[in-house]
Amino acid sequence: MITQTLLAAVGTAAFALLFGVPRRYFPFCAVIGGAGWLLYAALVQYAGATPTEATFFATVLVILLSRACAVLERCPVTVFLICGIFPLVPGAGIYWTSYYLVTAQMRLAMSSGFAAMKAAIAIVLGIVFVFEIPNGFFRVLAGKRP
Amino acid sequence: MEQRMTQDAPSMPDDREVLETAMEAGHILLENGAEIFRVEETMERIAAHFGVERREFFVLSNGIFTTGDCLPGQKGGQYARVLHIPVRGAQLDRVVAVNQLSREIEAGRYTLAQVRERLEAIRQMPGEPPLMQVLASGVGSACFCGLFGGSAMDCAAAFVAGLLLYIFVLSVSAKHMTKIVGNILGGALVTLVCIICYSLGFGEDINHMIIGSIIPLVPGVPFTNGIRDIADGDYISGAVRLLDAMLVFLCVAIGVGVMFTVYRRLMGGVLL
Repeated sequence: MITQTLLAAVGTAAFALLFGVPRRYFPFCAVIGGAGWLLYAALVQYAGATPTEATFFATVLVILLSRACAVLERCPVTVFLICGIFPLVPGAGIYWTSYYLVTAQMRLAMSSGFAAMKAAIAIVLGIVFVFEIPNGFFRVLAGKRP
Repeated sequence: MEQRMTQDAPSMPDDREVLETAMEAGHILLENGAEIFRVEETMERIAAHFGVERREFFVLSNGIFTTGDCLPGQKGGQYARVLHIPVRGAQLDRVVAVNQLSREIEAGRYTLAQVRERLEAIRQMPGEPPLMQVLASGVGSACFCGLFGGSAMDCAAAFVAGLLLYIFVLSVSAKHMTKIVGNILGGALVTLVCIICYSLGFGEDINHMIIGSIIPLVPGVPFTNGIRDIADGDYISGAVRLLDAMLVFLCVAIGVGVMFTVYRRLMGGVLL
């Protein structure tokens, strides 16, 4: 799991570069991506959470951290959010769906497509809810005057 | 507001130029993957700071509409302009730079001419060199391959596929192809490279290899921004961006599927 977390962190930083994030923010992106994956993996492995639930909580963590970094660094939250969320996007689910579709295993295709959809909805809900928290909360958290 | 107007009156720039500048800032933001409300807010800040009193901005995912009433005594009277901005790849450092600029404008550090200069400089920001992007795509592919359970060999193969994919993206698909064709071919290319690697005994699990190396095609920016725009109530823009993301997802999946099918037809045997 430690190796996986490191992989997630490095992978997130690599995508930060692809999206043209300024280099000084790479460490932040890496930590956020790694933390999101660590929580996801830990929830699935130790807490018996379903992937959908784990995705939701990991998304919440990613966005909390992104918003804290955004306030701390005074820069748009998008910078951290887009990269940090990457390990949680159901890329594998999409692959399996198309693989099963092509090999005509319709039931498996349905279930993996549905799982990918649920993960995407978990991400949506995570984003929507955490953005309801007023910005002042994060200013206090970052030790700045609201 | 009134007070500042009279104070700065001699140096107050023409409303028309202020609105032009605000549009320019909005253009850079929108083009490089900012959320709709950030674009509106930045334009609003610039216009307000330089004393344009009556202004309206309407921002969609691919266009900005601006109208304003210029002050009496200035040339012109009404200002109205529409700017079409095609959806393009994001470069977030420009969003960061414009955001920083708008804070500094509010702090009163720039004249309008200086703001225009800074915006021009931001527009010219070079971004990461292509070689670094290709390398990052390879590294990212390898990491995600490992993340989804691939072995070290799989990661090495995904690294190669990721490199080739981004060389293709930068040199062919981004320049000469529509999004649909570009992503289908991108997905197909990745699958082809992985099949070849796998047949040569380079890599142990072809599924993990492909999953890792299609990740650079995943439309993270429109997906995340689309959700946020919808959450902010910008339904039209959010829906367009989510549609964009869905389309890319779908095209990549089609590319992978088509290449599998072709391989099966040609080889006649059971895949994998």
